[in-house]
Amino acid sequence: MQTNQDYYRTVGLRSTILWWVVVFFVFIFILRLFYVQVVRNSYYVEEAKASQVTKLTIFPERGNIYAVDNLGEEIVPFVLNETVYTVFADPYEVKNALEVRNVVNEIAAGEIVETGFDLLDDKKLRYAVLARQVSRPQAEMIAKKELAGVGLQKGSRRVYPEGILASQLLGFVDNEGIGKYGLEGYMDKELGGVPGRLETVTDVRRIPLTIGDDNVSQPALDGSDVVLSIDRSVQFKAERLLREGLERSKATKGSILVMNPSNGRILAMANYPTYDPAKYTEVDDYAVFQNKTVAYPYENGSVMKTLTMGAGLDSGAVTVNSTFADGTGCYKMEEWPKAICNVEDDPKKAAATMLDVLRYSLNTGVIYVLRQMGGGTINDQARNTLYSYFHDKYRYGQLTGVEQDGELAGTIIKPTDQEGSSIRYANMTFGQGMDNTMIQTASAFSMIINGGTYYKPTLVRGTYQQGQVIEKMPEVVASSVIRADISEQIRDLIWQGRKTGFFGKNDPEGFKVGGKTGTSQVIDPKTGRYSDDNSIGTYLGFGGSNSPEYVIMVRVDDAKVPGYAGTSAAGPIFNDMSNWLLRYLNVLPSAG
Amino acid sequence: MFPRRNQRASGNAHPTPRKHRADYQILLYMGILVIIGLIVIYSISPARVEMMNAGGNSALAQTHFMERQFLYLGVGLTAFFVAASLPLNLWRKYPKHVLLLGLLSCALLSFLGLLMDGGLIIKTNGAVRWYDFGIISFQPSELLKFGILLFGATFLGKQVAQKKVNDLHETLIPIGLIVVVSVLLVVVMQKDMGTGLTIFGMVFAMLYAAGLSRKWLALGVGISLVSGVLMVLFSPHRITRVLTFFSSSGVSDAASYHINQATIALGSGGFFGKGLGHGVQAFGYLPEAVNDSIFAIVGETFGFLGSTVVIVLFAALLWRILKVMEKTVAPEWRILTAGVFGLIATHVAVNVGAMTGVFPLTGVTLPFLSFGGTSLLFTMLELGIVMAISRYTTHMNITKQEAVRETTVRRRGVGRSRYASPRRNK
Repeated sequence: MQTNQDYYRTVGLRSTILWWVVVFFVFIFILRLFYVQVVRNSYYVEEAKASQVTKLTIFPERGNIYAVDNLGEEIVPFVLNETVYTVFADPYEVKNALEVRNVVNEIAAGEIVETGFDLLDDKKLRYAVLARQVSRPQAEMIAKKELAGVGLQKGSRRVYPEGILASQLLGFVDNEGIGKYGLEGYMDKELGGVPGRLETVTDVRRIPLTIGDDNVSQPALDGSDVVLSIDRSVQFKAERLLREGLERSKATKGSILVMNPSNGRILAMANYPTYDPAKYTEVDDYAVFQNKTVAYPYENGSVMKTLTMGAGLDSGAVTVNSTFADGTGCYKMEEWPKAICNVEDDPKKAAATMLDVLRYSLNTGVIYVLRQMGGGTINDQARNTLYSYFHDKYRYGQLTGVEQDGELAGTIIKPTDQEGSSIRYANMTFGQGMDNTMIQTASAFSMIINGGTYYKPTLVRGTYQQGQVIEKMPEVVASSVIRADISEQIRDLIWQGRKTGFFGKNDPEGFKVGGKTGTSQVIDPKTGRYSDDNSIGTYLGFGGSNSPEYVIMVRVDDAKVPGYAGTSAAGPIFNDMSNWLLRYLNVLPSAG
Repeated sequence: MFPRRNQRASGNAHPTPRKHRADYQILLYMGILVIIGLIVIYSISPARVEMMNAGGNSALAQTHFMERQFLYLGVGLTAFFVAASLPLNLWRKYPKHVLLLGLLSCALLSFLGLLMDGGLIIKTNGAVRWYDFGIISFQPSELLKFGILLFGATFLGKQVAQKKVNDLHETLIPIGLIVVVSVLLVVVMQKDMGTGLTIFGMVFAMLYAAGLSRKWLALGVGISLVSGVLMVLFSPHRITRVLTFFSSSGVSDAASYHINQATIALGSGGFFGKGLGHGVQAFGYLPEAVNDSIFAIVGETFGFLGSTVVIVLFAALLWRILKVMEKTVAPEWRILTAGVFGLIATHVAVNVGAMTGVFPLTGVTLPFLSFGGTSLLFTMLELGIVMAISRYTTHMNITKQEAVRETTVRRRGVGRSRYASPRRNK
């Protein structure tokens, strides 16, 4: 039996025990609070920042791209921005999926993302895109319907007032806003601008609060507006003549490049086939995105003879008066079973001149130049000399730096390489055995005819600021690369070569139009050998009066007309372009 | 004379001391806590209002929570002072009725919950815990707790007098039944684990103070643990909460989000806190910021300093309640005081434990600080009764007093309290 005293003792003891339980918990809680609030304070401050601070990126406006027209008198837009909207839904909030489908379909049928509507029934989702690139009027109509759970997201897309003109050199901007290919790809940073930052403490709905001291607000820097060196009329004409020329020679692929040799500015740059940059998503063959004038190294063929001749003259290996014996029209090298022969036009003179070399496209002639570089044989000195011209002065095997994404450097084999044999170097004199891009050849060619200044080929004339073109100075990569008098000699030689050749007789009087054809056989991927059925025709030339005003290079890939493709397919395109340019550029005929 | 009549009526050998000054420390600590709560609610009221108005279903004034809490405090403080000054005998009169009313109102609520959604009741996340009387809502489980408190105190008091506290059939089964029915109503029907826990805590404290034997205590604790585990096992949302508690990995369910945000609020507060109006967590990040999570907001606003002060104030309040308990002669009032101790202690421990991540998350209010009318009303009413009881404490701990009394009674045959004169109790 419990006594009162026992009972009260128990109660008193229990009161004390309860008090110690309280003390125990107080101790635990304060310990824990000390750990969380004092020891781990900085960690939780960061955690709080991570969840409370919203970092918004303010997207800059992408720079517009302009071109010139009428010889720079006019500035014309090539690429502009347009505000578009993405229609999205929060399936969780959508009340009437059928109504949403009907309304969006009715207003923006063309921009629908079909798969988005299938997601509307999945209430666990919070985001489904229903339509992309919806125009402002369409977006306003959708907004008026006040559909529950449907939102609009502002965005921007590129528009092309000139349609497909110059598409490959322009490139496009993908869905993420990143420039791809062409100028958009190469100048993505300049055009894209610098995104701004907004760091602010927000409530849980991401609405900024005025609490906090370290809110950051940094405005975006818009991208620069770029003015191309491209002349709209020249570009338009070049594209048209290329297309017509290809049709004539039943070819499907080709390129054309027009540049000013005295400053490296590119006036036109086009390829066929091409694509519509506004509908780049519909393109299946991504090869069509490439600007082949910069991204397609190939064996240029006999057009290279002009450059070999330039090297021969400048190195002193030959002079304009040099002659060589071409009685057989062939040159046999010990290392190679087959002799290298000239084309059938070769008159096989006992003393062929340097003009004959260009006029009749004598392979034996440029091999003679190479031999002379070695003092009569294709030795190390000969190969080293040719290499130093091709690689160091003409800059083959190096990127030109033209403002185009995906430019390739091509290949040129060093004389010290095992592959750099005499037979290869003999071939290189007439444009075989080395791969180069049109932009490389046109730039080097511009240099040898302009007095010896190598200008960096450029598509950019300057920037457009407050209605003014801020011109960019032409960039001299190297001056006096070859002697000025040699430049004049080689220019005359090329002019004479054309004038006395197949095309020259039709050239207008009083102008100096020079050029050289080239037809290179293509290695048949099936056999691994050069095939006679397939060849690339090239024409490289210049035009002007007392000084050259333009350089044109034309390439036709798969001509299906008789004769050498350089002559039958590429040459006529050059002729048309050149004749048109003489008028367009108001070149005055010289008295001589 | 009330004390003497009491003495005779109870037939107890213990004299009830004369009415003296109440323990005003209770009022002091409660008052400071209430003021801290008010300040915090004042500072986050605009944030909460903005969040609620953003939902589009309300257009509340910025100071809505502040105003409401003032109103509730008015009601609560009135209840406190009325209870503190009413004769104690009143609470002896209708314990059964209050308990029955509590049980019935809870049962009716569950019944209505099956019939309707909205209207007279408030349904949140499938749980029905509130009556909705338009401008005022009412949480019947608070009334039930009060009923259990009154009934438990008077019933156990009687059993103590008859030395039947440890009698299975006469004491433990009836009390057990009341607890089981209440817990069924609250935890199973209302899905309110927190209130269930506080009922447990309260009844446990009452039985403990009533002198429940160690054997029964051990059994009771065992049964509670087993039933607790079972309840967790049969309720998926509680499993996730417990799992959340044990896995610190980023489980992104609501409970772990809640605890995570509470910890961020506390942790980012640092030692001194961010200061009033500089907290961010109330802007929708921390769920239940004005109610169950207010402790985390205190920590964010006033830092380690503030949260420690709150805990120490609660400890001080509990200490005063324990003092009242151990100096109260009448068993029913001692047990009632123990019940209030258990109730407040469980509320604070469960709430602060959850907010600091020491215990799994269970939604209970933090007494005196959390926003909410019913909870404030009943907690203050209950503490008011303790305040009234504190007017009748003896000078000394009853254990010692008993020892003294027995010797003095035997030696001198003096039957009356040595401390009959009203004096400040220490």
